[in-house]
Amino acid sequence: MGNKKVLVIDDEIHIVQVVAMKLRNNGFEVVTADNGSDAYTLCCEEKPDIIIADYQMPGLTGIELIEKIRGTPGIENIPVIILTARGFAIDDEQREKLNIAEFLSKPFSPKELLAHVENVLQSSAVS
Amino acid sequence: MTLNKYYIFAAIAGLMVLLIVAAMPLGGTNWPEILACFAALFAGGWLGRQLFAEGKSQLEQIENLKNDYKNQQDKASKCIRENKDLRLQVQLLKRQKRNTEAVVYSISDAVIVTDANDRLLMANEPAGVLLGFDAKEAILKPLEELVMKKELVKLIANSRTSRIRHVKHELQFEAGDNTLTCNCIISSILDDDNEVCGAVTVLHDITREKEISQMKNDFVSHVSHELKTPLASITAYSEMLVDDEATDEKTRKEFYSIIQGQAQRLNRLIEDILSISRIESGLVKVNREPVSTALIVRDAVEMIKSYAAEKDITVEDQTAVVFDQVNADKDMISQVVINLLSNAVKYTPKGGKVSVNSEVDESQQVVRVTVTDTGVGIPSEDLSCVFDKFYRVKANSKYAKGTGLGLSLVKQIVEKVHGGRVFVTSEVGKGSSFGFELPLAAAEKTLVK
Repeated sequence: MGNKKVLVIDDEIHIVQVVAMKLRNNGFEVVTADNGSDAYTLCCEEKPDIIIADYQMPGLTGIELIEKIRGTPGIENIPVIILTARGFAIDDEQREKLNIAEFLSKPFSPKELLAHVENVLQSSAVS
Repeated sequence: MTLNKYYIFAAIAGLMVLLIVAAMPLGGTNWPEILACFAALFAGGWLGRQLFAEGKSQLEQIENLKNDYKNQQDKASKCIRENKDLRLQVQLLKRQKRNTEAVVYSISDAVIVTDANDRLLMANEPAGVLLGFDAKEAILKPLEELVMKKELVKLIANSRTSRIRHVKHELQFEAGDNTLTCNCIISSILDDDNEVCGAVTVLHDITREKEISQMKNDFVSHVSHELKTPLASITAYSEMLVDDEATDEKTRKEFYSIIQGQAQRLNRLIEDILSISRIESGLVKVNREPVSTALIVRDAVEMIKSYAAEKDITVEDQTAVVFDQVNADKDMISQVVINLLSNAVKYTPKGGKVSVNSEVDESQQVVRVTVTDTGVGIPSEDLSCVFDKFYRVKANSKYAKGTGLGLSLVKQIVEKVHGGRVFVTSEVGKGSSFGFELPLAAAEKTLVK
């Protein structure tokens, strides 16, 4: 599972730091951004294996970011995990349309987040 | 009178007979005279009998007439009594009608009464306003002609035919530029034969209730989001510490301080929410004393300087030294000035300028504090809402984080607690001016005298 690249996006710098640390401690390569627009540029440049994005961010929101990624050839199939403090912000239809792998709510456990990342990567490798 | 005459005749005839009989012994038997006497006697008796019979029948007639007269009199007085009763009943009905009208006309809900053919019998003013007709001139017109909302006309007709009380929730009405939401209750009116003779329709406007409920939902959703954000950091960093993910002492120290900072943030947030809630419900303890706004501004500027320096923003206090005492809660007004200053710094790009001024307006008898920045500015359509709870200018949310509570608290403290006034002017790209006015302490004293 080593050396997989994860893009972590959150406007809360402490959240980005803690998620990055947990992932790095477990052998992932991590790139980070604190807003949607920077994240999109980084995504095009770095082509990560998986994205962990906050739902509500200044600039592009998490959903707008994913819509943009899904419409960009080359990065359109990257699996996405959404991390949000809003429990009911998205319906199943939209989730399916945007191909969001997981929806995790804040507060979250870094341990569980790591497990989800590994699961999603595994299933996307199989399919 | 006629009867008496007959009696007199009978008496005379009797007397004649007596005279004849008395004269009889004086001469020889004169049969023709005797016969004449008997004839006279007979005639007298017959006449008397006739007269008696006639008198009797007339007496009976008179008796009947008397009875008839009495009956008629009874009937007449009965009629008079009934007439009086009817008049009372009409009066009572009129009064009941007036009562009903007064009830219908004083209800703030829209009320319309229709007959068995769905023609309008009664409508109060709110009904006219809501449904768009002149309530006074629309009487007896078919509802279909009066009411644009065909769904309502159909509902009334349906519930009238089905004879059941009909309740329809959240019926939408277009009233000018606004859409009003009403709950609708239709009850059938039954006559003596249990037939439906009309319907009463009540439309209760729930637009405001819905707005408040929406605001409450937004509030809860917003608060939970704002509370969860620092909580997420606290939870994640604690778990990292528990799981020994922080390997060196320096990292551990860093984690402790993050947890501490986020816990403080959480506490501030809760304090802000509680402050607003306490002020709104009137439970806040206000400690009013004569204070100088110039001094409060000076202290606040000192407090904000280090935050401004991080963004290379200069904060200038332009306040002249004047006597500007107001009767105010010092801590609360400090919070107001700090909130305005930190907002100004927050939404001003690096290298910008924030200035603050406290001045006495003698003509208005107020102290006016104004915080002006060279920041991003606020679109004009947002200006009227910036003091609303949790309202955030969407176009500016990318510049800074916020709860949308700061300005709401400013407004509550200035207006609700101190009887002052808040104001804002702004131009997108050039900057904003936020400020407030408080009555001069001297002016308040004069007022009390």
